[in-house]
Amino acid sequence: MFILDSLLIGSLRFVLDKVIAAAETEAEDDSALREQLLEAQMRLELGEISEEQFAAIERDVLIAIREIKGRQQGPISMSPDDKITGVDIQSYADEDQ
Amino acid sequence: MRAVAEAAGGLRVLIVSTDPAHSLGDVFATTLTSTPRRLRPSLDAVELDAPRAFARWLRDHRRPLGEILEHGTWLDREDVDALLDLSVPGVDELMGILEIDRLARGERRAREARQENQALRVLRPSRSYDVIIVDTAPTGHTLRLLSAPETVAAVAGVLGDLQQEHRLIREQLARIGRPEAADRLIAVLADQARETAARLRDVQQTAFVWVTLPEELSRAETGDGIAALERAGITVRDIVVNRVLPDGGSCPTCDRRRADERNVIASIRRRFARGRTIHTVPAAIKEPRGIGALASLARSGAKGLGLRANDTTKPFRASARPAAIRQRPSALRPQPFSGASLLFFGGKGGVGKTTVAATVALRLARADRHRRVLLLSTDPAHSLADLFRSEVGDAARPLPGGPANLAVRELDAAHALEMRRTQFEDALDEIAAAIGVEGASAAIGTSELMRLAPPGIDELFGVLGVVDARADYDVIVVDTAPTGHALRLLEMPQAAREWMQVLLRVLLKYRSLVRPGQLAAELVELSRSIRELIALLRDPETTRFIAVTRAAELPRRETARLLGRLRRLHLAVPAIVVNALTLAPGRCVRCRAVSAAEKRELASLRKACSRRCAIIQTPLSAPPPRGAAALNRWSKSWIEP
Repeated sequence: MFILDSLLIGSLRFVLDKVIAAAETEAEDDSALREQLLEAQMRLELGEISEEQFAAIERDVLIAIREIKGRQQGPISMSPDDKITGVDIQSYADEDQ
Repeated sequence: MRAVAEAAGGLRVLIVSTDPAHSLGDVFATTLTSTPRRLRPSLDAVELDAPRAFARWLRDHRRPLGEILEHGTWLDREDVDALLDLSVPGVDELMGILEIDRLARGERRAREARQENQALRVLRPSRSYDVIIVDTAPTGHTLRLLSAPETVAAVAGVLGDLQQEHRLIREQLARIGRPEAADRLIAVLADQARETAARLRDVQQTAFVWVTLPEELSRAETGDGIAALERAGITVRDIVVNRVLPDGGSCPTCDRRRADERNVIASIRRRFARGRTIHTVPAAIKEPRGIGALASLARSGAKGLGLRANDTTKPFRASARPAAIRQRPSALRPQPFSGASLLFFGGKGGVGKTTVAATVALRLARADRHRRVLLLSTDPAHSLADLFRSEVGDAARPLPGGPANLAVRELDAAHALEMRRTQFEDALDEIAAAIGVEGASAAIGTSELMRLAPPGIDELFGVLGVVDARADYDVIVVDTAPTGHALRLLEMPQAAREWMQVLLRVLLKYRSLVRPGQLAAELVELSRSIRELIALLRDPETTRFIAVTRAAELPRRETARLLGRLRRLHLAVPAIVVNALTLAPGRCVRCRAVSAAEKRELASLRKACSRRCAIIQTPLSAPPPRGAAALNRWSKSWIEP
């Protein structure tokens, strides 16, 4: 029974690993997009897609990654630890005079 | 010659060539194939066709092999078929050793065995033959051939691991204890590997005869080769020094050659004579060809073998100055070499490839100090360090006293494999995970496969070495292994790309189970580099192959076949370098006869070369040039069209 147990437990662990991996993928949109790009590169190497098709996929993926990065960074804000140490102002109007 | 002598002595002899660039048919002046051909009532000869032998072996074992891969992985039949249809790097050595075993199998009575390097003799028991003489590929790949049994054993071990789970299920759950075809195949492979490895080391069955030339580079290679064989537990009892200039009338050129050769032979004797017999074979003006010539040579010498055993030639210093070779100043037309970013030098063993490749690399580096030149040796039996009398290793380094823009590297595939070990193990883990054999990855990683330098590894790392070097150098001059393996090197990019494509397909197919990771990214990158390299190899503007040969019948015939193969690989051959010519024969009878014979061979080479390729003639130098300064001086006496 030991073998049967180890086979069953091994299979169960495998399925659970996959469920966790899928959940992680959902959460990390960025890595899923990178995988999509890698997949397109693999298909290009295999000749399954053309250079043009690859360029289109690459463009879409890069736009999507930029959007995610933008969302993740959000608007610029200050934390209570940040301090303003000085301000440098230059007036072009002064130079003209 | 030995085969003819043994056959004449009443033994049934089979002579087998395992060099992918066969010359055996040329030596016997006949056509040989992979089926033994009867040359005399007791002498058969065969030239192995390793890819065909592998195809036959695979046809016989495809089903159990496929079953092991299907049982041990989650690859389906389609994936397995794609894997089994791939060409296998190192197939020449792997099949060479299995084929020798197949030809020799079924023996009834045991007799001694003997083997020669470049004329390896396995006197081994066989149902049909008393003696099997194996004419092997030159040094580097002979060492790989001899390690092939260990590689086969390691492969059997990995297959055993893959089969293990299926075997357990059969035995424990289905209560079937009878071994199936897959188990039998694994057992046969393991047994065959063990028996062959043991036989190669059994001095009662196998003897190794080392064949060399009376030249300093060959002597150095002999030292390295015999040391490597002894490390592997293989004993060398006989050394044959071939093409020794016989005694004759006084002539400045011949005298210097004799002096140089005698010094080399004396050095061989000092270093290797203990426990071994040193034989010398005189150089003939026309190389012996055909059974009659070989039999006559065999009859002419000591022990009935045409070999002069332990002759007492003493070191000799000639007083005569070398003949002033009438130097026609070389026009130094750079066309065959200039503009190329990848220059391969190849040809039959012992023709002087390394000397010529090094001379051209030095010349290219000197001509433009801003041009970064790499001289890369991919022959596992390196000679660059001996040629330059300087340490050269696996890391590219400048040459002491050479141009600063010239780097030199002797590729050490075993070292490179060790350096990339972690990377390979990670890759193996990912492949194993992708095909569902996580347990087996550790077995592969720790198996002998990673420790051994398996056959084919020199060509694989040779290609990777060229790919890596392209970023750092403007010109890469490749000093290749002799013909057969130079061709394997040039075929390797395509074979490697096919392997990578199958792996990429598998990774894509099972991407929902295992997400493609670092390995897939690296495979994509490498596949792209190799795709570029394949395109580069076919571009005559950037890549050229320079065939190096001697003006003698056997090298000339091999060169003609090489040119045909290179044409099929779409490689440009803008020049043939005909090396070590007697250009100024003077009044010496022998030199004049040699020069006349060389002229006839040159005319044949010109025909083979066609109009598109130039013949470059280089003079015989006694002693041969060594060191950057001597090579540079020698280069100025080349005759270039």
